[in-house]
Amino acid sequence: MSDIEQPAGELWGREGFREDPYVTAETLEEAGDAPAVILPLGAWLGLTEETRNASNRKIGVLVAPGESIEPLLPLLDSIPVIALQFPAFNDGRSYSKAELIKNQHHFKGELRAVGDVLIDQVAYMLRTGFDTMKVNHAVTLNRLAGHNLHDVPGYYQPGRGSHTASGTYSWRRVPGA
Amino acid sequence: MYRYDEFDHAFVSARVEQFKDQVERRLSGELTEEQFRPLRLMNGVYLQLHAYMLRVAVPYGTLSSRQMHKLAHIARRYDRGYGHFTTRQNIQYNWPALKDIPAVLDELASVEMHALQTSGNCIRNVTADHFAGAAADEVGDPRPYAEILRQWSSMHPEFSYLPRKFKIAVTGADRDRAAIQVHDIGLHLKKNEAGELGFAVYVGGGQGRTPMVAKKIRDFLPVEDLLTYTTAIVRVYNLSGRRDNKYKARIKILVHETGTEEITRQIEAEWQAIKETDLKLPQEDVDAIDTYFAPPNLVQRPEGWSGLAAARKADHAFSAWVDQNVTPHKNPDYGVVTISLKPIGGIPGDATDAQMDLVADIAEKFSYDEIRVSHEQNLVLPHVAIADLRIVYDLLLTDGLATANAGLITDIISCPGLDYCALATARSIPVAQRISERFGNPERQADIGELKLKISGCINACGHHHVGHIGILGVEKKGEELYQISLGGSGDEICTIGDITGRGFSSEEIVDAIETIVDRYLEIRTDKEETFLATYRRVGAAPFKDALYSEVANAA
Repeated sequence: MSDIEQPAGELWGREGFREDPYVTAETLEEAGDAPAVILPLGAWLGLTEETRNASNRKIGVLVAPGESIEPLLPLLDSIPVIALQFPAFNDGRSYSKAELIKNQHHFKGELRAVGDVLIDQVAYMLRTGFDTMKVNHAVTLNRLAGHNLHDVPGYYQPGRGSHTASGTYSWRRVPGA
Repeated sequence: MYRYDEFDHAFVSARVEQFKDQVERRLSGELTEEQFRPLRLMNGVYLQLHAYMLRVAVPYGTLSSRQMHKLAHIARRYDRGYGHFTTRQNIQYNWPALKDIPAVLDELASVEMHALQTSGNCIRNVTADHFAGAAADEVGDPRPYAEILRQWSSMHPEFSYLPRKFKIAVTGADRDRAAIQVHDIGLHLKKNEAGELGFAVYVGGGQGRTPMVAKKIRDFLPVEDLLTYTTAIVRVYNLSGRRDNKYKARIKILVHETGTEEITRQIEAEWQAIKETDLKLPQEDVDAIDTYFAPPNLVQRPEGWSGLAAARKADHAFSAWVDQNVTPHKNPDYGVVTISLKPIGGIPGDATDAQMDLVADIAEKFSYDEIRVSHEQNLVLPHVAIADLRIVYDLLLTDGLATANAGLITDIISCPGLDYCALATARSIPVAQRISERFGNPERQADIGELKLKISGCINACGHHHVGHIGILGVEKKGEELYQISLGGSGDEICTIGDITGRGFSSEEIVDAIETIVDRYLEIRTDKEETFLATYRRVGAAPFKDALYSEVANAA
């Protein structure tokens, strides 16, 4: 497979790559006048309700694997994007958080995976509820560009982007909306 | 037994194709060993001391003759003519070439087998009582539930990157032959007062460097809640289990540090949120899976008993084998036969290709095509007519498979140790072989009676030494191998972790030390009915420590 150059600043979703409208900053001040910002959880929780809901800019939140999502749950309606971090590919806590945020608490905004994502994990992420990925792994970027998701033809669990397979067991699913 | 449908076939084929591509990229150098590592581990391929090792999943230890023939073929064609059955009811091949592994996976797929989830920090191959579906004391067959769990946990999107590996075991009898209390989740299938099936749920057992007996967190979980409740447990673990220290990452540490009451509260709270979701099991699905495990239509063979008495009288060795290796079956005309893979002086759990073929042939003719792998590293023929015991014995005898030592001191569980394993700190197989030879006399071991001896070559405890009536742990100290002894462990329904006796013994001393313990037991047991474990529970460690260490003091 030929290497496809892929700038690391771009965001991947089921439709392919697109430009990331968000900038990541430690504080709102640091973000300057950027119209869309992602702040760390602590900084985001420190914002006033008025700032969070301001109509002139979108403010998303970045959550590290060790941080609890509990304080976010009552505020989900006011969050445009939640970015869950994968500092190392083998730290799987954010999969369970995705499940809780999207499927148990019905978050309507964009759920994003950020960090060290292996190509073999992308299908898992989509199924637990992630919408987009911001990946720093070169092999993954290449494979995503080639639309090679390492997926399987059927799943043994319910999950996003799948539907019940007819004539088989209740826990099984096949890909497709 | 369970048969793949189109869905399963497509799934496994896709995985094999993916791995082929990954191996090709590794062989061409596109992937470094470091990049290849997580990919190969997902397919059961380890890098050991001398070579790649392939661990093949045998779900809940159940095999057909056709599958066993295939395992023999793989041993012959791709390995050095043997395979190693493990304490996880799996089989390992120690010498496959990496370039051949995709072909091996193709061969396995052709008989509905794979090597998925036999490594990595995911939910591993689900284990069960090796006498399931046959044992006289069973409430229900645990395998349908193990199969449902196997399917549900296959490539689970949320639970493939857990803090550490995760092992589930299921038993269907009060007598626990699956060691469920030393698993991350142990499920005991039972009936409630209304006669409905459900599970007692145990969480947080395990061996390794911090052995712990699991805590019972629910006395009765209805069958329909199996997957929702398991999801709740694994989710709490995935979110809260420690990831800062590999040795503290198992759920047993989380349960221990959080407290049973609090962890139970968290699990129950999560379960309340999901118990009415898509994972609630419809009875018709349970029934459909159950059908695969319907007992074979056993022909009535009442003539067996009279013939057996005569055959036993005529041949003492055969009689001893029946006593030791045949267990009561649900159907009184039948018995459950344990095929010992512990010949005196042999390597525990190893079987040659010819032996595997022989077992497959015998199973096809005399055991309704069924074979089991036990976590004690033996094979089992679950449905043998009493009338056929003699002929089965004679066939097993032709290739060294009729050792009459099931449950005796030479029926040793041993990890591969420093002869193969990259983690080991001491050899374990040679110690097992020397102990086996020391106690090999059939009368002597029969007189000693039930005694489970288990050996691990490092602190990770793959040889289950913590739950050995006598456990041996090999460690490395100042460049020497040193063997610690523990006593009184047990992996059954009254589960205990063995107590360490004191300072360890050198490789030269260890066999004598074991003999000293056994001799002391023979001196102090009330009578032959009192097993080693019962004696130990009555008298404690003191008499054994005395015997072990005062002699040394006297000699000095």
